[in-house]
Amino acid sequence: MAETDTQEDLQAAPPQIPGIPAPPQLDMSWAKVPTARPPKPKIGAEGFTLRLADAGEYAYAPDHWPYENDTPRGSYPAKDRGLPAPYTIYDKAEVWAENSADLYELAIREQWKPATQISWSTIEPLAGHIEAAIDQIVSNISEQQYNSNAVMMGRLKDISYGYHEVKLYLATQAFDQARHVEAFRKRALANGGGLGVESPGFFNRAVYASFKFTELVVYTNIIRTSFLLALCEMGDRIGRSQADRQLFENTANDLRRHLSYGIEHLKHYLLTGDEQKRRNVRAWLDRGEIMLAADMRRDKPLREAFILALGDTVERGKASLRELRQAQLRKLLRTLELATFPGHEPYVNASLRDIIDNP
Amino acid sequence: MTTSPDILEQLRREPGGEDLDLSWLDQPLAERGLRVAPGKRGLTLEDIATSSYGDIPSSTDNNTGRLRGAAPRTDAQRSQMLWGSKSASWSASAMLLYEEAVQRQWSSATDVPWAEMPELPEELELAMSQLCTFLTQVEFIAGDVPGKYAPNISGEFFEIGLFLASQIMDEARHLDVFRKRALANGIGLLQAGPGAIGLLTAQDFTEMASTLHLVGEGFVQSLFRMGEMFAQSEVDKRMFRLAAQDESRHVAFGVMHMKYVVETQPERREEIHTYLDRMEGQLGAGSAQAGLTGGGQTGEALAILLGGGTSETQLREGYMKLLAIRKRQVNEYMHRLEVVGLGDRRQKIAPMMLALLDPARN
Ligand SMILES: [Fe+2]
Ligand SMILES: [Fe+2]
Repeated sequence: MAETDTQEDLQAAPPQIPGIPAPPQLDMSWAKVPTARPPKPKIGAEGFTLRLADAGEYAYAPDHWPYENDTPRGSYPAKDRGLPAPYTIYDKAEVWAENSADLYELAIREQWKPATQISWSTIEPLAGHIEAAIDQIVSNISEQQYNSNAVMMGRLKDISYGYHEVKLYLATQAFDQARHVEAFRKRALANGGGLGVESPGFFNRAVYASFKFTELVVYTNIIRTSFLLALCEMGDRIGRSQADRQLFENTANDLRRHLSYGIEHLKHYLLTGDEQKRRNVRAWLDRGEIMLAADMRRDKPLREAFILALGDTVERGKASLRELRQAQLRKLLRTLELATFPGHEPYVNASLRDIIDNP
Repeated sequence: MTTSPDILEQLRREPGGEDLDLSWLDQPLAERGLRVAPGKRGLTLEDIATSSYGDIPSSTDNNTGRLRGAAPRTDAQRSQMLWGSKSASWSASAMLLYEEAVQRQWSSATDVPWAEMPELPEELELAMSQLCTFLTQVEFIAGDVPGKYAPNISGEFFEIGLFLASQIMDEARHLDVFRKRALANGIGLLQAGPGAIGLLTAQDFTEMASTLHLVGEGFVQSLFRMGEMFAQSEVDKRMFRLAAQDESRHVAFGVMHMKYVVETQPERREEIHTYLDRMEGQLGAGSAQAGLTGGGQTGEALAILLGGGTSETQLREGYMKLLAIRKRQVNEYMHRLEVVGLGDRRQKIAPMMLALLDPARN
């Protein structure tokens, strides 16, 4: 359509396009800016990855990002950059994780589709109280992930453009969490049940109220993800069908990436500061643990759901719940060790310690 | 399906059962008995929005973390950030578009045939790198802006939150694919522009739908859909085609949100027109975002790509084709406004756009 419309005008002078100032003659000053010429990528089995693309000078993310708008890293900044953006994070230490670019590509390779890649038809009718217990557990997972997701998405606008790998990675995390919200909700409604009772919301509130980005990462990617991952790793003892096992396995796989970002970020944060940063992490852990314990202490439906789902008798269910709680705390401590924050065990908040020992 | 009193009694009598409450089993406060089976497209959000779980309230005082349909607790923590009105964010197509987004994800690493990229004349390669520098600059603004509102979406309207997450994922891929394209053929990134930070000034979700989804992404989508005209190879064609597919979801989400607002709150029409005035540049030249895909260095780069080079004839042809793209952008913009129910925009549209608009069909 475009060509035929304008064919007869081709001999005329360049048109005056409303809103498009056609330069009187070729300018191309943009082609002469002194940006780096990247090496030609050697594309491998994983395709043209971000790591391959951001080669040479393009790989370098400075400790402080100097541009207040959306200037892409490696481009030649405009003289007139318009409005300074509302970004608040210009220091690499506040968001960086060395593995962001790789986790981003990995997340895309490992994306799964809850609507079609879970064998929903393998779910068989269960005894009413077992189904209700599973529904309560999956409702809680759905709620947790909605909270982590909503708050994290809201923080993207704080991160300046120079750390694009981090923004990209966090986008995959947001999309993973959205699918967790959706997939576990679907499970609750697929087998004669429905959703359970909401959580007391102490931990949700802590996530909303986090002042610092790293604080948010400690709550969502370190504490909550450690606990949820340990739960998913016991998923074969909660689930009763192939679909249930797929849900827990796929989610665990995503959570390992989320944990991995949390670990590498915390490492980078601690590496680039003094003792005060360690004290900050301690304070965030303490606060997160108190809120987590408050939820666990008050959430009777969830506690009882675990007991019913995990054991064929109440006694065995209680023993298994204790086992789960211990595995969750172990996972958190191990995560902290990997994040170069070892020796946290004696500092675990007493309220959390108590609910782990007496679940 | 409820739990029989016998089983509850039996559980309480078991060793260790004395401290069990079980009231959540005895008298569940959320609807039970749903057995939703997967349909042709698997088990979708629309499938499970059924019975009371499909009742989307026009207003709610649910401001805890509770997702729609779950049983409330009286001691749950609240957040005043959560919006209680459906019209604040609702879009009737959110569930469908979210599921489509999940099904149609693609990888910039493997779904673009990078290995088949031809060597282009340097001026074309430079122009493509310049266009992609512009695109990689503005693409994630379309992730930052919707993200800003995610913490306000109550669990009562959680599907909106899920859709926003899918858009953020898409925009990450767009930032990434255009960055990769600029870096793929030895040129690299070139001149950055003033960018699209202005879109982050949105103070209201409907303002965002008007400025980002309808105008910003609408213009970008029209451009991508004409990607065949300026793509120089199969690699470029595929890249623009895949990105266009994603953009059409984002635009559709915004259009359906605006339609819902215009239908249910007609008193907001004039307010919405003011957002469009701003985007069209009617508050002063500096206010426009709608010219983004056409002006300055991006315009010149596009003209070179469209004309196939930098000779006088090629440039003239390039600018002619750019004019055709511009026309299409403006006409598709008007068409979307008609779908929204704001066909009267035709009488208010900026003069420079009016000049490109086809006559009304009837
Ligand atoms: Fe985009
Ligand atoms: Fe978009």
